[in-house]
Amino acid sequence: MNHSHSKYLSNFKNWAEQKRFLDFTEKDVEFLKKLHPFAIEYADSFVDQLYEHLLQFPDTKRFLSDEKTLNRLKLAQKAYFMDLTSGEYGEEYYQSRIKVGIAHQRIGLPPRVYMSTYCYYMQLIIPKIYGNPMFDVETANGVFLALHKIINLDQELAISSYIHAIDEVISRQTEEILEMSTPVIQIWDGVVAAPIIGMLDSGRTQQFMERLLEAIVETNSPVALIDITGVPQIDTATAQHLIDTINAVKLLGSQVIITGVRPVIAQTLVHLGIDLSGIITRPTMASGLKVALDKLNIKVMDNPRA
Amino acid sequence: MAIEETGENPIKNEGDIVTCRKLIRNVATTAGFGMTDVTRIVTAVSELARNVYVHAGSDGVMRWQLLYQPGKIGIQLVFEDYGKGIPDIDQAIEAGFTTAGTMGMGLSGVKRLMDEMHIQSELGIGTTITVAKWGRAK
Ligand SMILES: Nc1ncnc2c1ncn2[C@@H]1O[C@H](COP(=O)(O)OP(=O)(O)OP(=O)(O)O)[C@@H](O)[C@H]1O
Ligand SMILES: [Mg+2]
Repeated sequence: MNHSHSKYLSNFKNWAEQKRFLDFTEKDVEFLKKLHPFAIEYADSFVDQLYEHLLQFPDTKRFLSDEKTLNRLKLAQKAYFMDLTSGEYGEEYYQSRIKVGIAHQRIGLPPRVYMSTYCYYMQLIIPKIYGNPMFDVETANGVFLALHKIINLDQELAISSYIHAIDEVISRQTEEILEMSTPVIQIWDGVVAAPIIGMLDSGRTQQFMERLLEAIVETNSPVALIDITGVPQIDTATAQHLIDTINAVKLLGSQVIITGVRPVIAQTLVHLGIDLSGIITRPTMASGLKVALDKLNIKVMDNPRA
Repeated sequence: MAIEETGENPIKNEGDIVTCRKLIRNVATTAGFGMTDVTRIVTAVSELARNVYVHAGSDGVMRWQLLYQPGKIGIQLVFEDYGKGIPDIDQAIEAGFTTAGTMGMGLSGVKRLMDEMHIQSELGIGTTITVAKWGRAK
């Protein structure tokens, strides 16, 4: 997946900016490293306690269906916790945090579970910070604040990637909706045009054909341009639908010109052995329009004063 | 970022044909196939997935796998169904042969679009069609 063009998600380079914004410095890294040996020591017990806690709630329990999943998740969670204090906050760290948000969105785990996990972690680790004989008050405060910052950085990444994942779902759906509707427009007296975007699957064909035929009758157009610039590929089913549409238009006494036939499409049609020799095709909508105007005996002149 | 090397997608309804196409368009593009090859591969996916949906009379599945050879990148696609099977494979591959009143150009087309095609079918048990396409490694 490409994360670099998201409006919500920073890429790794911008993330450095975010660290600066939070005033997350080398000093914080040092404090976190001080906590690391204790985080390692208690990692297993933290994770055990956390999952015991999560298993008490039906809402979270359903994500922990079987023993195998549970053990796998525990291991991942342990690594995740240990990374927090490892002192390494580079690209790998960044990626691991991004993945969490995307994975959670995909399985439908709500962000509040993710957020409360940190809260639970804090609850367990704070005594290890403030009750630690190795830390004086100043160090304990420094460690606490550094931990707070890295958790904030984590959460920002995971939530942004979560939103980003939702955003992708929405834009995919928008695209699908767009594919569903194909406008038929009159572009000249006697010429209608229908730009097709996406695949012409059987569900859409019927609807498209009806609208095209209606528009031809309504506008009394002898020529219809079907533009396939926005069709990613043509298979036999799509070709069949196009041919059916063309034949229906012929029955009305009008004629179809297929425009926007890209070279790759032309090639695949040849490979598929589909014969469009009886059909007028043009590479662009503009050249198709010229053919249409010729057929209607309409001459378009250059403006002599221009 | 590393890309996944293998995966699968069910073929149960018409929407799954769309999903298969989108998935393989993504996989093939990320793997480094050029635009022309991607279009060929995706067209083949469309044909074979639709054949499962239209002809098999059962659910099916598409499996994909990236293949590597020195200097080459490949993609292998397996379409498997548990449906009625193809009685005469040679006849089915013939251009224009159809039992559905459609063009009958799907299988012959796929053979030309892809570099390799293998059909295995048993009546009443199902059909497995394996195709592969090779490209130059990026
Ligand atoms: N998965 C399958 N299971 C059973 N029969 C199949 C399967 N795939 C293809 N066939 C048989 O092979 C014939 C030829 O398939 P082919 O894809 O070439 O043409 P078509 O699907 O009939 O038409 P078109 O693909 O041009 O729309 C089909 O009509 C069908 O009888
Ligand atoms: Mg077919």
